[in-house]
Amino acid sequence: MTTFLVVLRHVTQAAFLIAGITVLVFVLVRVVPGDVVDVLAIEGGLTEDQAQLMRRELGLTVSWFDQFRAWCIGALQGDFGESLRFRVPALDLVWQAIPVTLQLAAASLLFGFVLAVVVVLCATLWPRSVFVSIVDILNIWSIAVPTFCAGLIAILVFSLWLGWLPVIGNVLIPVIILGIDAAGQIVKPLHEEMKELGTAAYVRTARAKGIHPLRIIAFHVLPSAAPVLLAMTGLIAASFIGGALTMEVLFGLPGVGSLTFNAINGRDYPLIQAVVLFLAVSVILINFATDLAQRLIDPRPEH
Amino acid sequence: MDARPGRPPRNAVGLRRLGDLPVGLLFSLGIIAVFLIAVVLGSLSFGQDPFEQDLLGRNELPSLDHWAGTDNFGRDVFGRLLYGARLTLIVGLGGVACSLLLGAGLSLLALSVGRWLVVPVFALIDFIRTLPGVLLALVLVVALGPAVSSVVIALGIAFSPYFAYVARAAWRREMAADYITVARVFGAGRLRVLYRHALPNIVGALITLAAVILPRCIVTESVLSFLGLGVSPDTPTWGRMIAEATPLFERAPYAVVVPVVALSLLTLALALLGNHLRKRVDPLRTDGARRRSVA
Repeated sequence: MTTFLVVLRHVTQAAFLIAGITVLVFVLVRVVPGDVVDVLAIEGGLTEDQAQLMRRELGLTVSWFDQFRAWCIGALQGDFGESLRFRVPALDLVWQAIPVTLQLAAASLLFGFVLAVVVVLCATLWPRSVFVSIVDILNIWSIAVPTFCAGLIAILVFSLWLGWLPVIGNVLIPVIILGIDAAGQIVKPLHEEMKELGTAAYVRTARAKGIHPLRIIAFHVLPSAAPVLLAMTGLIAASFIGGALTMEVLFGLPGVGSLTFNAINGRDYPLIQAVVLFLAVSVILINFATDLAQRLIDPRPEH
Repeated sequence: MDARPGRPPRNAVGLRRLGDLPVGLLFSLGIIAVFLIAVVLGSLSFGQDPFEQDLLGRNELPSLDHWAGTDNFGRDVFGRLLYGARLTLIVGLGGVACSLLLGAGLSLLALSVGRWLVVPVFALIDFIRTLPGVLLALVLVVALGPAVSSVVIALGIAFSPYFAYVARAAWRREMAADYITVARVFGAGRLRVLYRHALPNIVGALITLAAVILPRCIVTESVLSFLGLGVSPDTPTWGRMIAEATPLFERAPYAVVVPVVALSLLTLALALLGNHLRKRVDPLRTDGARRRSVA
């Protein structure tokens, strides 16, 4: 029953959030001075008459309220309008971009996850080893070094000076950079949790029974730390949905981030709305999935 | 496993752990001192004019004349770095101050004034938190136009949830204390209790959080500038310098590397300081890990 209530709460919250975000984005993008026609006019040299004609064609001359109503009616039927710039359905553009971002985010998350778990296992197993410092270094790195700075330096070193890899469209470097960033965020709380759990009585019992310390840490302590690990992973996954943006722009990957960036820069209203809605729904879904998984692995009521 | 109280254990290298390291703190304070000197020197227009173009001396390597080389317009990178330090500081501190006022101010006011305000205020804060950070700042900056003030407001809104949550946690903890009950019994109003009694005990947690958020504000500003959406083009914050020099990477690597390194060192120093503060005074164990990635 409680699970049902939780789902219900999430669904209502999600509905309000999505409605709120839709309205907010709708208003915000229209408050911005300059519309898509202005952008095109600068690029293609339209006359004032042509521009006005174009605005009328694109439906930008009617009131905001009418535009919003039309958009909502379309969206509810699965029609998110056409991109004003590319003249194809906005949804198609989003669908095309999703695999790129998904690939990037999933690979980085996996890499970061594995790296974090390995480092933390070692640091817990050998509390006086260099791994403890690695935990701190990873954590501070993820706070201090912006991913795009790391990306720039990586491009400089690998492509220009060493001449190893082509830069544009390369996925390896962004995956490593984002993975390290993710690991840095997971590592610290996981390590703290593992240290705290390590003092529990059942660990001492296991020790006394003669179980190997590695086995204790990997199979007794780590599973108990799963909620923390899961929560962090969920947070990072949510941030990667939009947060891979700079990496995508820097490395020329045609993912959701690049699409958002181009849409905002080009004042492509339907595209911005479609992308932001997609991002919001993804973030909400990830949060929801994390919360649900949290309840499954740790069914105790919130303490 | 290692539950020895007192001094942190020494590791194999013979150093204490990086986070606890006095050397780390020393290093970070040193860098912050250098940064502040740079801010002062930049304000006194020390060194080369950051705006003077020298089209004959473009993309030069570092020399005695130009300590960090010149950029694509022949402007002195070192001079711009000094000048930009102040702007970077202004944007960072402004963003933190804005989010502190907005997040902590709103949540404390709502909590003190009454329940009917708590629900909508925290619904709003949850709403802000759900949006991915950069995306929110991006849309806000686009909406407000390119200026220092709009970046500060965007950063302030994007980071306000952290302050709101910490303020709420601290407030709840204080409200449970006896001295608050005593103050209430003696007839102090809600706002007086907040201002005279609870606030002095909450401020510490907020300042610690501010130290943790400051480097993130600076980073976010640079990300926005990098995406071409930050402050206007004639204000060279470090992020802006990186953004401008990036397309000409191959010809003038120094114009990119110098601000990138400066920015990373500064955020590193601030992050170390923030971590240290958090460890020393952290009354709430607010996780530094609970950050929203911005890049």
